[in-house]
Amino acid sequence: MPTKTHSPATTEELSAILREASALGRTITPTGAGTKLAWGNAITTDDTISLANLSGVREHSWQDLTATVGAGTTWSALQSQLARHHQRVALDPLFPERATVGGILATNDSGLLRMRYGGLRDLVLGMTVVLADGTIARTGGKVVKNVAGYDLPKLLTGSFGTLGIITEATFRLHPLPAHTSTFTARSADIAALADLMQHLVTSAMSLEAMQLRNEPDAFALDIQFAAVPEALDDHEQRLRRLASKLSLEPTTVDIYTTREQLFAIPNATILKLTTLPTKLSALIAGFAQLAAHGITAQAVADPSGIVTVALVAPAAGLATILEDLRARLAPIGGTAVILQRGALPTDIDPWNNPAHPPAALDVMRAIKNEFDSHRLLNPGRFVGGL
Amino acid sequence: MFTPAILDELRAAVDARGLIVDRNQLQTYECDGLTAYRTLPSAVVLPRTTAEVSAVIRICAAHSIPFVARGAGTGLSGGSLPAENSLVICLARMNKVLSVDLENARITVEPGVTNTQVTERVKSAGYFYAPDPSSQTVCTIGGNLAENAGGAHCLKYGFTTTHVLGCEVVLPNGDIRWFGSEHGLVDSPGYDLPGVFIGSEGTLGIATKAVLRITRRPETVQTLLAAFDSATDAAQTVSDIIAAGMLPSAMEMMDRTSIFAAEAAVHAGYPDCDALLLVELDGPTAEVQAQMAQVRSLCSTNKAWEQRLAQTDTERALVWKGRKAAFAAMGRVSPNYIVQDGVIPRTALPAVLTRMKQMSEETGLRIANVFHAGDGNLHPMVLYDAANPGEEDRALILSYDILRMCVDAGGSISGEHGIGREKQCVMSYMHAEPDLATMQRVRRAFDPNNLANPEKLFPTPRLCGERRHGAYIPHPIEAAGIAEVY
Repeated sequence: MPTKTHSPATTEELSAILREASALGRTITPTGAGTKLAWGNAITTDDTISLANLSGVREHSWQDLTATVGAGTTWSALQSQLARHHQRVALDPLFPERATVGGILATNDSGLLRMRYGGLRDLVLGMTVVLADGTIARTGGKVVKNVAGYDLPKLLTGSFGTLGIITEATFRLHPLPAHTSTFTARSADIAALADLMQHLVTSAMSLEAMQLRNEPDAFALDIQFAAVPEALDDHEQRLRRLASKLSLEPTTVDIYTTREQLFAIPNATILKLTTLPTKLSALIAGFAQLAAHGITAQAVADPSGIVTVALVAPAAGLATILEDLRARLAPIGGTAVILQRGALPTDIDPWNNPAHPPAALDVMRAIKNEFDSHRLLNPGRFVGGL
Repeated sequence: MFTPAILDELRAAVDARGLIVDRNQLQTYECDGLTAYRTLPSAVVLPRTTAEVSAVIRICAAHSIPFVARGAGTGLSGGSLPAENSLVICLARMNKVLSVDLENARITVEPGVTNTQVTERVKSAGYFYAPDPSSQTVCTIGGNLAENAGGAHCLKYGFTTTHVLGCEVVLPNGDIRWFGSEHGLVDSPGYDLPGVFIGSEGTLGIATKAVLRITRRPETVQTLLAAFDSATDAAQTVSDIIAAGMLPSAMEMMDRTSIFAAEAAVHAGYPDCDALLLVELDGPTAEVQAQMAQVRSLCSTNKAWEQRLAQTDTERALVWKGRKAAFAAMGRVSPNYIVQDGVIPRTALPAVLTRMKQMSEETGLRIANVFHAGDGNLHPMVLYDAANPGEEDRALILSYDILRMCVDAGGSISGEHGIGREKQCVMSYMHAEPDLATMQRVRRAFDPNNLANPEKLFPTPRLCGERRHGAYIPHPIEAAGIAEVY
């Protein structure tokens, strides 16, 4: 049978498609806008299912701070609707204009707001999901507080479409900040910025977002406060005292697109690294030093412990850098995942050094087997070949 | 009862001092905070290390012995009620704080450490552990993980699951695995095993270590008490606070019966009113002050006739004392009562309260309410007198009817107390069969032989075909005044 692309308009239609596919043993790639289809192991499947037609905000219960939305809705469409009541899902994922709710949930993408509001798993309350055999399961709920049964929305978030296909999700919302102020501190000495970052994290000020990055001639720390105007004045004065020996000025760039801009660098290899917050500055400093070896490396770190870096270098050099990073991060359980391969050889596992599989991979395999025993949904795409 | 050979194996695993078989001693473990349900376990083990827990579970797996994990036994839904012919694995002796990493705001503890001990350990450095279930002085972190414990400050700070970065778990086959990060990193690739494990009520394995996130203590905390003549006005104030873009750390409501009971018990000096609203703001001083002015003005707009601002720790403690005493105090206004734990969308509150009033009139039973107004978590208490024939049955039916009403309003049958044995038969009212079957897939992946805390959480034909009876009886630690329920 030739490859097909299905575009169901309802959860029930998707269920019927999956029942049929499962009877025929056809493998499936679920997709939203396809912005992150290159993430993970490259696989080919018999069919593709687009969730694009399952779009629209179904319910915005603004007084309850919750919203339910179809998986095919773009992130920016969701946010602009929520903004009518000055609310949002407090998350700034990549490619918000194109990326869909379902794809963002499947990949568990997050940005700078993670430090204050947590990741997607802290923000998703419920999901409707269709399993490989067509079973429609409604998981979680529509209320902020709910401990009735297993928290399946968390399990499905970041499962890369290997356990089921998300058709609808309910989020907890936060108010849009009415007032913010944003500053950039710069220094050639990254230790000074790391100190400032640590001071701010422990300061009990209303920090909305922060990122540490390298620039061609210096290091920069972007800092955003969100609070009532009285508190913003207070925070600025405190920041100026803390940063008295550094260059500090109001930020001129949009800090929420810094990470996305890395993807516009021609031929870049893009990695996502995880480490402990206190080890972020050493990573950024290491990337800056690569310039001396003719390698361009632009890195941006979120204080939660996530670094996104764009590297432009010859293939052999890239492979060595990745191998070295994985070896250095391994002792603390850190990871280096390939988001965009660039010139990196295709035989390098995007998730990890297969010699260091994730802890409890056997438990993950058992879950995969219960949810999709015939391995029809995104087979082999995820870490460890899940 | 276990055979002597099995007891020998258990003794070899945990040492003679770690094994309890004496009937009198076993009675300590026959129930948890839901005291109406009691089953004597066949034996209890008190392991001291992960390796001992693993060895014990391997014995259970080899002999198909059901096992039930237990911390302090403060749970309110029967989560650690022993199964028939089961082994209780009590983690109380695994009570060490293993490491503190202030720079990364992490702490690693064993499961028998109490919730309060975590905060105590990091307090001097200006940190606290955010989840604050009312039994926090005695309940353990292991139990908090099992129940995904909440508390009064969830609205702003989230639940246990928000604060666990990783946990070491002994699986139902005895294997030891790390879920999430042993080092406290976020976002490693793979399925969210901590996410599905936390709140699984001991049905997927036993946590033996946990890496927790600790939180910086806010600069300022202020607590406002406002008195209203109607619950609708108080509820409107809550909605207005949310609409103004504020996120208080706690918003609590009490009705007249609860206020009366709390006053009788602890003399918190509450105003005599139909609805009392407690709003707590925390954060930078300048922000708290500006927002508190706004909250007070919203209270006035909604006809609050008295407002009291507690600014010192002592004043705040008194305000909270009354609120926390509300459950235990109910004994002062009624011989018996049943506590429930439903959740509704906050906007459904006026309709739900109206319906509850009707239900009360229809059954002739009084219902008192305290609830976490910020997140819609209701704790209705059905008051009755067990001495009146048939009244206990009617009270029990009413309490489950209230839960069903919460589901009908778009909510949940549990916000923080868990399902356990108490609410498993209501699960099928909230979740359709395919939803429960999907959860069972997870269960099978972890525990194909159904040994970890069997016959809990999910509805079973054996237990849900017949209806069990049970009123709320204060837990010994509650009766002794060591902990309050709220």
